[in-house]
Amino acid sequence: MAASCVSCGAVVSQRLLLRPRVSLAPRQVLWRAAELQSVPGPQILRLKHVTVVTTKKNVKALRRETYTVDFIKKQIEEFNIGKRHLANMMGEDPETFTQEDIDRAIAYLFPSGLFEKRARPVMKHPEQIFPKQKATQWGEDGRPFHYLFYTGKQSYYSLMHDTYGKILDIEKHKNQLQAKGLFSEKDKTTDLIGSRWLIKEELEEMLVEKLSDQDYAQFVRLMERLLQGGAAGEFVQSFRRSVTVQSEKQPIEPVQHDAQGMAFSTSEGRRKSAKAEAVVYEHGNGRIKINGIDYLLYFPVLQDREQLMFPFHFLDRLGKHDVTCTVSGGGRSAQAGAIRLAMARALCSFVTEEEVEWMRQAGLLTSDPRVRERKKPGQEGARRKFTWKKR
Amino acid sequence: MMMKGGNKVLARSLMTQTLEAVKRKQFKKFHAASSEEQATIERNPYTIFHQALKNCEPVIGLAPILKGGRFYQVPVPLSDRRRRFLAMKWMITECREKKHRRTLMPEKLSQELLQAFHNQGPVVKRKHDMHKMAEANRALAHYRWW
Repeated sequence: MAASCVSCGAVVSQRLLLRPRVSLAPRQVLWRAAELQSVPGPQILRLKHVTVVTTKKNVKALRRETYTVDFIKKQIEEFNIGKRHLANMMGEDPETFTQEDIDRAIAYLFPSGLFEKRARPVMKHPEQIFPKQKATQWGEDGRPFHYLFYTGKQSYYSLMHDTYGKILDIEKHKNQLQAKGLFSEKDKTTDLIGSRWLIKEELEEMLVEKLSDQDYAQFVRLMERLLQGGAAGEFVQSFRRSVTVQSEKQPIEPVQHDAQGMAFSTSEGRRKSAKAEAVVYEHGNGRIKINGIDYLLYFPVLQDREQLMFPFHFLDRLGKHDVTCTVSGGGRSAQAGAIRLAMARALCSFVTEEEVEWMRQAGLLTSDPRVRERKKPGQEGARRKFTWKKR
Repeated sequence: MMMKGGNKVLARSLMTQTLEAVKRKQFKKFHAASSEEQATIERNPYTIFHQALKNCEPVIGLAPILKGGRFYQVPVPLSDRRRRFLAMKWMITECREKKHRRTLMPEKLSQELLQAFHNQGPVVKRKHDMHKMAEANRALAHYRWW
């Protein structure tokens, strides 16, 4: 019954569509109540569904906005003029107005309480705001400029092609030298220490093209091959970024001197919910006092005492320092871990840079990020679910 | 694997007692032996422990693979970590189950460790059984796809 109604409805709606008098623009979806049939007999209610195409002319095709070169140039000019105006407004010298000054000025003139940093007012160079785009790749006759345009990733493939060309040149050069007998093995690896290859995102940004993971892997392999062949030149250096040495970021506590002239250093450490503050004296017998209690009595368990011993044992300074510390919160193990971190940090001020780097690599200076995971509703614990019952 | 209910203190004390028992037994043997044998008797409990576990590690393992509605025991290579884990697990299960109610864990464990050190004992036998099963099911090796 229902199926026949729908089909009747469809037929009727088709007839309705054909009649022009029903056409209104924009038309909407209407559920019309059934019209009473003129045929005598049992009345059947039929729902007529008039589905119509929405003809909105305002929807633009979803394409990325293309910024022309002139538009960007104009934006840059406006930015520079605006920068000078801003400098004048703030009473500073327009010539030496840097980006940090601009940021400070904008934050001062337009204070925003929004939490999302990206929603706050910002004034940056147009290069950083407008995404980089390629200019039109083809001329007036429709012919593309670049010979690899039809590969889809012209800059990537041309880069790979140039790199391979360089590899072949280096090999040819090497063969020539070997033929003459002037070839010598040179040490080339020193330039590469402290730098890393560009990551995929950086390469994409450089080439203004989307790359796949395989493309990136192939690129890295080709670069490695180029390095094996010859010396790392400017070409290769442009694809490397320096890696900052981690230990430089470790803040070393200053050494203080107390009333008797003893040198000591203080620092804190935390583990789970335990907080500890350790005072390490430079010259001592290896005594450790925690909250005024000797460590042997405070930590009867060997495991905790081992944790306390670890930083000193690592640096071979077992009996050479005295420590006084205060600790609160957490449990037995957490307090031990907190004190260990505090002592290691305090020891940094009495120890060479190299040893600080060793300690960092041993994990003595990293605070343990593991905390108790919260219990979630609908579960018995953080991870454990309630017993599943089939019915 | 020795720890139960988070009681690390107990687990640690059991281990130290085990190592102490191993050391005592070895020293007793040492004092009772002649001078030629004294050179061969190992007294360091840590080397005995590590060597015993290494002797218990299986080289190849079995994995149940479902094929055609039946589970076949297919020989499969084991990673280093898995081998060490199996050695420790077999050692501990063996000590927990196959001992008299009154004997304590350290004593039983030290006994098993010394036996495994000399490539004898039930744990090493279990390793050999595993190898024999793998050898017997060699034909099923093709069922492995990784």
